[in-house]
Amino acid sequence: MAKRSATVRRLSWVLGIPAATALAAFGVAAWQANAATPSPGPSPRVAAEPAGVSDPGPSPEPLVGTGNDPLTTHELARARAAALTPRLKAEARDVTGAAGPEYLWAEVVTDGAGRHAEVYYYDYRADKLVKQVVDLATGKVTGSYAAAGMQPPPARREVGAALGLLLAGPFAADLRDGYARATGRAFAGRDDIVVTAHVYDPRPADTGARRCGAHRCLQLVVQAVGGPFIDLSHLIVDLSGRRVARLK
Amino acid sequence: MGSTRAMGEAAAAVLILSAGLTATAVRPAVAQAPARCAAANTVRETLPNGTTWQLCWRIHARSGLVLEDVRISSRRYPESVRVLRSVTLAQLNVPYDSGETEYNDITDYGFGGEYLQTLAGDDCRGGSARVGSDGDAVPRRRKVLCVSAEASGPAYRLRNDGAPTKPYARQGHDLVLRTVSKVSTYEYIAEYRLHDDGEISARLGATGDLSPVDVGSADNGWPVGKGARGFATSHYHSAFWRVDFDLAGRGGEQVEQYDTRVAGRGSTAARLRTSRRVIAREGSFSKANRRWWRVVSRTARNADGHARSYELVTAASDVYEAHPETTPDVTFTQHHGCEKYATDNTDPQCAAGRSILDYARNAEIMTNPVMWVRVGFHHVPRDEDQSPMPLHWQGFDLVPRDFTEVNRLAPEARAGFNGRN
Repeated sequence: MAKRSATVRRLSWVLGIPAATALAAFGVAAWQANAATPSPGPSPRVAAEPAGVSDPGPSPEPLVGTGNDPLTTHELARARAAALTPRLKAEARDVTGAAGPEYLWAEVVTDGAGRHAEVYYYDYRADKLVKQVVDLATGKVTGSYAAAGMQPPPARREVGAALGLLLAGPFAADLRDGYARATGRAFAGRDDIVVTAHVYDPRPADTGARRCGAHRCLQLVVQAVGGPFIDLSHLIVDLSGRRVARLK
Repeated sequence: MGSTRAMGEAAAAVLILSAGLTATAVRPAVAQAPARCAAANTVRETLPNGTTWQLCWRIHARSGLVLEDVRISSRRYPESVRVLRSVTLAQLNVPYDSGETEYNDITDYGFGGEYLQTLAGDDCRGGSARVGSDGDAVPRRRKVLCVSAEASGPAYRLRNDGAPTKPYARQGHDLVLRTVSKVSTYEYIAEYRLHDDGEISARLGATGDLSPVDVGSADNGWPVGKGARGFATSHYHSAFWRVDFDLAGRGGEQVEQYDTRVAGRGSTAARLRTSRRVIAREGSFSKANRRWWRVVSRTARNADGHARSYELVTAASDVYEAHPETTPDVTFTQHHGCEKYATDNTDPQCAAGRSILDYARNAEIMTNPVMWVRVGFHHVPRDEDQSPMPLHWQGFDLVPRDFTEVNRLAPEARAGFNGRN
């Protein structure tokens, strides 16, 4: 009974589209049909009227972008150089504790005239997310903002640092044992695994990771190379506090 | 409330008065601003029925595919007219029914950068795989956007009384844009379908594999292994899109909500009355039977003198009432550049505004509204979800309402049919 209701539920999801979106429903059918049989179209009329699109090859990256184009390599370098002001470089700290903030990412600003970039950093000394706005025409910082308690996704360097803290800390065996159980092989080192991570926000019942949120904390997603995932969701790496905690 | 109703009535009166001004209503739109991107980041394609869609695209580290400066023209309406300033995903909240796991796939991971997949295999069969920056912290240029034109079935059909064997009938087509992002085991397709009749459909498809980590039980999952084993946990995908209209390039739209109630009996059937409420201030709204919303230009009119608008048409959507942010169906807010995500906003420039509910809290009067659309899907796994999981889709449509005075695709023989003539 429960199974049947689930089946009905799924059908209604696919078919329960208002009449006004009949075209969209046809679109679903066409996409699914195309996925199964790439060609030809569903009717001779369509076949006689192929709906092709142009296929421009890649063009070389320009030096600077137009309008809201993504930042070019040149613009990104210029923005990062300008955003890292002497004061920010001196006062902020990166994930290793070294001088200068941890670079996260940069993007084009889509409001206002002229091209501007937003460059995002994490300052591990102040535990703040920093945004520097750079006018790409003048190379000047036109806005500087910082806020605590904002934790965007980690940069690869931060994931690497988190793995380093885990392997050097008291719960390294959780990874080694988990890897051995999952693969039947002994864990030989970082090259055996693919690691990604997401920011961890504490839940009310958590112990050991209460400062996360204000601190920058990561939960690692570990997969054996070409193999299964190793569940380490009970471990939290507090990058701000440079320690590893076990939940519960 | 009284004032908004009065405003609505005043606007309705204007609408009726202007209906006779067809001769003066046809005028070129305000000169369109220059394109907001270089040719390499432009998609411009003409579908078989003669409709041309033109837009700029780019990949944002978090939001993934962003469409900007979306314009349409067609044989009957050759002037390229802007519809959208931008549209993009703005959050994907994925809580598991166990209560032990929850992700925000846009702001915890992102659909751009390392999560954005390079198109390969059948990803873009029959289409054009376009190269662009992947939005990573150190961007790479890769084949990430699939552009294709797909048949959408009959566009219209009308018996031709002069030639009964040759009805007025055309097959429709959509210009389709897709990117693929892999977040952990799930893979998501962000899709926009630009129909040749002016409709725009935004959808999110989910495929890949079920989470291997979340192990459910009989009351919060489904056994996908042999017998009563291998419970996969049920979960939600609450997706949000951020839609910023720029109707006819004029901006400054107004938001309206329409409701239809049973108002009594006529001689043979119930009498239904439709009323309009102008939504002048920021706020969140939920569906009710027959309720719909539209975003209306305050200045741009079609040749009939009717205000050009686009209507939000919502489809199936499960409400996740455990969060206040994932409960309303749509939120309208005044445009602020640093309000980027529906929840978990991470821009220090507007540190007090972390979600759509924060953005709308001060009920600011909207002169440049942004529409945040939520579509939820409660996914109870099934055996067939392994492996790979068949795509399941969720999304909504933006349907032109009075953007043109007749069907954009109408054949020449029907050119004179406008109104009760």
